[in-house]
Amino acid sequence: MINDKDNSSIPINEFQIGLRNFKRNRLAVICVVILFVLYGIAVFADFLSPYSYRNENRNYSYSPPTAIHIAHDNKLSWPFIYGTQLTFNDFHKREYVVNKSQRYPIQLFIKGEEYKLLGIISCQYHLFGVQEPGRLYLLGADSRGRDLFSRILYGSRISLSIGLIGVFISFTIGLIVGGISGYYGGRIDDFLMRLCEMFMMVPGFYLLLAFRAAVPDNFNSVQIYFAIVIILSFLGWASLARIIRGMCLSLKEREYVLAAKTFGLLDIRIITTHVLPHTLSYSIAAIMLSIPGYILGESALSLIGLGIQDPYASWGNLLSDGMSIVRIYFAPWILWPAFFIFLTVICFNVIGDALRDCLDPLLKSEGKE
Amino acid sequence: MVQSLPKYFAKIFKIKLYSINRHPEHQRCEGSQYSSNILRFFHFASLSVRMTICIGILLFSFSSYLAAAVSDKYGGELILTTTSDPKSFNDIIAKETSTTEITEYIFEGLTTVDAFTLKVKPQLASAWEVSADGLTWTFYLRQGVVWNDGVPLTADDVVFTFNELIYNETIPSSSRDIFTIDGKSFKVEKVDDYTVRFILPVKFAPFLRGMAQAILPKHKLKKAVDSGNFNFTWGIDTDPKEIVGTGPFKLAQYKPGERLILERNPLYWKRSVDGDHLPYISKVIYVIVQSADVELLKFLEGTIDLYTIRGMDYALVKPLEQKKNFTVYDLGPAMGSNFITFNQNPDVNSKTGKPFIDPKKLSWFINPQFRQAVAHSIDRAKIIEIVNNGFGYPQHSSMGPAAGFFYNPNVIQYDYDLDKAKDILAQAGFVDRSGDGILDDPAGNTVEFSLYTNADSTERMDIAAIISHDLEKVGMKVNLKGIEFNTLVGKLTSNYEWDAIVLGLTGGVEPHFGKNVWTSDGQLHFWHPNQKEPATPWEKRIDEVFNQGVQELDEDKRKVLYDEFQLIASKELPVVYTTLNARLVAVRSKFGNLKPSNFGGVMHNLEEIYIKPEYR
Repeated sequence: MINDKDNSSIPINEFQIGLRNFKRNRLAVICVVILFVLYGIAVFADFLSPYSYRNENRNYSYSPPTAIHIAHDNKLSWPFIYGTQLTFNDFHKREYVVNKSQRYPIQLFIKGEEYKLLGIISCQYHLFGVQEPGRLYLLGADSRGRDLFSRILYGSRISLSIGLIGVFISFTIGLIVGGISGYYGGRIDDFLMRLCEMFMMVPGFYLLLAFRAAVPDNFNSVQIYFAIVIILSFLGWASLARIIRGMCLSLKEREYVLAAKTFGLLDIRIITTHVLPHTLSYSIAAIMLSIPGYILGESALSLIGLGIQDPYASWGNLLSDGMSIVRIYFAPWILWPAFFIFLTVICFNVIGDALRDCLDPLLKSEGKE
Repeated sequence: MVQSLPKYFAKIFKIKLYSINRHPEHQRCEGSQYSSNILRFFHFASLSVRMTICIGILLFSFSSYLAAAVSDKYGGELILTTTSDPKSFNDIIAKETSTTEITEYIFEGLTTVDAFTLKVKPQLASAWEVSADGLTWTFYLRQGVVWNDGVPLTADDVVFTFNELIYNETIPSSSRDIFTIDGKSFKVEKVDDYTVRFILPVKFAPFLRGMAQAILPKHKLKKAVDSGNFNFTWGIDTDPKEIVGTGPFKLAQYKPGERLILERNPLYWKRSVDGDHLPYISKVIYVIVQSADVELLKFLEGTIDLYTIRGMDYALVKPLEQKKNFTVYDLGPAMGSNFITFNQNPDVNSKTGKPFIDPKKLSWFINPQFRQAVAHSIDRAKIIEIVNNGFGYPQHSSMGPAAGFFYNPNVIQYDYDLDKAKDILAQAGFVDRSGDGILDDPAGNTVEFSLYTNADSTERMDIAAIISHDLEKVGMKVNLKGIEFNTLVGKLTSNYEWDAIVLGLTGGVEPHFGKNVWTSDGQLHFWHPNQKEPATPWEKRIDEVFNQGVQELDEDKRKVLYDEFQLIASKELPVVYTTLNARLVAVRSKFGNLKPSNFGGVMHNLEEIYIKPEYR
């Protein structure tokens, strides 16, 4: 293989070995690509989406996905859509009647609502869209005629970032608590581990609800977002801290830790430079595997209406629309957010599994026996 | 290794079941849910207000009706559903509709309300008379009525029910408030075995409607009252034989979480026009299900006989009418309202020393022009179209059209006009001075507030979202917040810390029963609770109207008073009404004698309803 030629003579560290192993796992690589795309979408959501998350048109309640035509009068034409008009049939079912006299070509880099690209550059151009009064619904509309596609893109910002921020916070806490607990042992260890157990013994979802109830309800949406991140982080750190503590218990007996001690290094330095880095291979895999927990946690909270609040979108609160069989029956497209949640969760798990396999040689050899 | 995925999947699964459990239940019973928590007394306002029941008809010609006649109408089962278990069978202490829904078939009152005319008609009392001063009411009990264990009903039972149960301080009776006027109770006394006299401290117009209060058997309950155990009597684990009423049905079996069976009371006093012993149906079975969605599926598969349709269900249910052999009825506007209200409470929290609501927000909310602008920003037509699939009615008056006689349609109506709303706000000094796109009040504060509603009702969430979106177009910044129903009720009734709320109230025919909301000292005068003196001239006037109305025995004069109250409410807008749902019901086409009514639903005359022979 090419890699062999490049690396065979050069001494390489374990991460490079890991990376090489990782690249061999096709599925994991595909998942990485998918995640990159998803996170890219989240960053450029306002440019990629034809409408903003709060752009509603009440005349298009539960409009089905708009058909995109490429043929007009039997001739090939630039993709366009027809105008539609809501009518209720005899059974009060929503029917959208196509009006062939209204044609709206799909335009690239169309001028629309103003937004701030990357949060700084003021911009009015959207990747694609149609002129008003045409409405383009790639994945259909919700109850108030908001574009589900646009809302999924905006929702990805919350749903995807909540995992990263949450995992960052809870792993920081987990590593610190686990490190201190394992390194010092004794009373500190007892105290911290009982604390962890207190968090772990309460069923996760109820703890989530309890924490949520403690959040003052005069918070605005940004504050609620951070409150949710912090709540989720508080749920996640305990189990990690316990495992890190276990690893530290054995790591602190190693000779190099002893050596560092004899040199008179501060405990905090020993923990951060000599003990914790050796838990990293485990931690990275665990990080990947626990991100879905945060995404699902946020979705769950938003699904029951206690998370991100309308008009802001998250995948969970978009999905809450689909909690009634009647709505699913008439507007099955409202389940699209579930697909994105599923995709993301699967990707993180595949990557996590792959990372664990390739970063932990011991485990791998065990697996091959 | 941490394996969080399966764990979290399990959680998600749980969450889903949990939410499905809750959400349609609230949605369906929004009115009753609320009544059980707050407007306690509505549960007794009438036999059928809360019945999730409906209509059906049989177009028998009169002749075939006669031909079918007498005895071959007996038998068969009516299968209904309920989404929550009864908590007890004790009608006196029951505050939840899951109990009263069942007990109203087991117990009866002296009077009842006619489902069509909404007038009071005799039930256990066959006649009554009132003294010229309107204070002494004499009721003549129907002769020959027996409890379903064979013991005759006498005046002792009526006296017992009032004096020893309702007026018993140790029993948390939910109807005591209604039968207490200015702290004084009625004097209830036995004249002879079949005559009871009520002496009222002052004139009380809704008295006859109040007499729909269920009468309970003295011979069964006296012992429990004397030993102080009444509050624990007739719990859900009671032997069904012990629960004795005069109603058309009696309890036969109850399996918690599964089903409840009522069976025909063979000793029931009522006769049909042809002299048949009523009721005809031999069993009423309540299947206990988790949610309205489950009810819908069960109805479509044919295992239950009746389903209350939500607007969004209609397009699914209606096309199957022929195939699945049922009939859908539109009974007109429902009783329960949906509204938005603003906190006008100027009081200070005695614990923290802080005002319940930010003084700058208070200054907006107490401004009637601000509320008028909000009233002009409510897109009722689209709320009906989006939330109710077209099955709804705009509401402007504080009594719904379903209230019939006392409904005043000629109140001030605020049409959906955002420009007008902006003009009104500009006149009141709300203009965008800072140029951030959000209005500023005359003092320069940005108009931003929170709008709460109960998260478990997608219907309310949608209404609140539509309203807040329009308010934002007018230039306010609204933070929409879905919170738990009980937390929301807590905000309204105990901690008072809220800005604006979208919520619903149950309604009734008798305007006086809205006293707890509308009078300034009402328990549920939520926009400005705990008033010692009426805070505003119009609240003072409403107090007067209610005080006069309750003592006015002439119905027409009462109507004038309550019309004025509705007009004041629409002018001052302490609550801004949005829409009323339509009452839609689907009934399997197997019943005879159904007489649907807007007020009573279908099963208001359950004892007369029979099941066609081919369906028994």
